[in-house]
Amino acid sequence: MAEKTLDCLGEACPVPLVKTQKAMESMAVGDVLIVNIDHSCAMKNIPDWARSVGHVVEIEEVAEGEWNIIIQKMK
Amino acid sequence: MSEKKKYQFHELYLKKEWSYQTGAVLLALFSLALVIVTGKSWGVTGPLGMWGGWILSKLGIAVDTWAGFKATPVASYDIWKDLPALTNIGIVVGALLAVLLAAQFKIKKLKSIKNLWAAILGGLLMGIGARISLGCNIGAFFTALPAFSLHGWIFWISIFSGAAVGSKLLVKYFM
Repeated sequence: MAEKTLDCLGEACPVPLVKTQKAMESMAVGDVLIVNIDHSCAMKNIPDWARSVGHVVEIEEVAEGEWNIIIQKMK
Repeated sequence: MSEKKKYQFHELYLKKEWSYQTGAVLLALFSLALVIVTGKSWGVTGPLGMWGGWILSKLGIAVDTWAGFKATPVASYDIWKDLPALTNIGIVVGALLAVLLAAQFKIKKLKSIKNLWAAILGGLLMGIGARISLGCNIGAFFTALPAFSLHGWIFWISIFSGAAVGSKLLVKYFM
């Protein structure tokens, strides 16, 4: 089970979502992707997308206005 | 008691993002209220154009001789009488308040020089486009729909097709 971090700090929509989708393509089932974001819209559209395709998502607030979205690839 | 339980009101109403449905209903209500209270159609870039003209006039440039400022000269511009301009200031103050109440305020670092250029060029193009078409997504859409104006729907179709093409270009050339 690999773990990968994707730095999207300072990026605005839809860049974090597109980067996340690309990164997920190259990962195996069971792998975990941690996306660092500081754009609040990405806190909605990334989990919305990931859940809609069936991945497990968790959001962690790491600082004021900064989050980690933890996605485990399920299929 | 956990922190979340203790500050339940804060967590539910100020911190957690509202649903798209809640947002849509509130936007529609406030859009209507704005017309009732101010009696004006709100546009963002109209006042921004006036502010730009005002700054240029302070720098000694005679903008009032330009065609764009013929109808509303900068010399007689009074921001306190420009209700759409005050709404613009209100929306910035309101957004700041919301993000502070949610404890999510952050000054973002610039990721790269490429992003800086994209922001400057994007802003310029948006500004020019919005002024030539006499309105942005507020004046041409948000204000138009509650007034049952056809131009709002035409704008809606156009901006969606533009955004669709734009995102394809973004993915292809910018990432």
